[in-house]
Amino acid sequence: MADNLYSTFLLATKNVFELMLDLADITDKPVDDINTEGMYDISIGVTGDLQGEVIYCFPYDTSINIVKIMSGMEIDTVDDFVVSAVSEIANIISGNVLTMLSEDDIKCDIQPPKPYDRKNDSGSEKYSVHTASNIETSAGHIYIDIRLNPAK
Amino acid sequence: MLWKEKYELGVEQVDNQHRELFRRVDTFLHTLRSSTSWDERVRKVNETLDFMNGYVIEHFRDEEEYQKKIGYPRYEEHKKIHADMLNYVVHVTKEYKDKGYNEQLIQQFAGRLLAWLINHVAAEDQLIGVYAKEKGVGTNG
Repeated sequence: MADNLYSTFLLATKNVFELMLDLADITDKPVDDINTEGMYDISIGVTGDLQGEVIYCFPYDTSINIVKIMSGMEIDTVDDFVVSAVSEIANIISGNVLTMLSEDDIKCDIQPPKPYDRKNDSGSEKYSVHTASNIETSAGHIYIDIRLNPAK
Repeated sequence: MLWKEKYELGVEQVDNQHRELFRRVDTFLHTLRSSTSWDERVRKVNETLDFMNGYVIEHFRDEEEYQKKIGYPRYEEHKKIHADMLNYVVHVTKEYKDKGYNEQLIQQFAGRLLAWLINHVAAEDQLIGVYAKEKGVGTNG
């Protein structure tokens, strides 16, 4: 289950980055610890057959590069505009994952993106699927932190 | 906001409207992101916002009419995607005006619109072009 979900998120991320940003050379590496320095974290809640959340960690440089590619404009800081744009990308990737899962008869919904505060993460919550990936692109890297349980 | 050849569906009317939509969003973004003070920008931002929103409504309506005309099987699903986005546009624009032209709200709106529009045209809308070509229908709009 964990491997399957990891692959699905990875495939959806690659598809979205290629389609929207023309980023083709994308590699991934599973990670245990996420270095959160200089990052903006976005949480997407998941309900339905799987429950929990997926946290997308966008380093500031990566966020700026992504929005530069999309807008064709000079961007130099991570502000409300940039955060909103990368939050929508997290939303689009998650939506694509849901479509892929539904083909395996796994029915889920997602909640709108919201900021995630890692400082309040006690780590006490246990998930049967808890896996993270560092995804490298020519625009920079992002982390995807998957925290899901099957519905009881 | 750059138009790319890969966004073309091969349906003349829809492609022309998409190009115009990208131009209007681009004008809105450049106005919104210029480095002058908010007080100096706000009148021009409001003008370009209204100009862009009007075209979003017109384009969604025309694209839905085209889908209906060619018997596009995902018409209802696509119409709902448009309706959801339109609700968001109307809701945020109203809130922005009600709150006395709040810059933060409109910057957030612009970021989401930018990513949403690229994905919508590059992914969902492409399926209309694929269907029209497969069926050999209405590529002149």
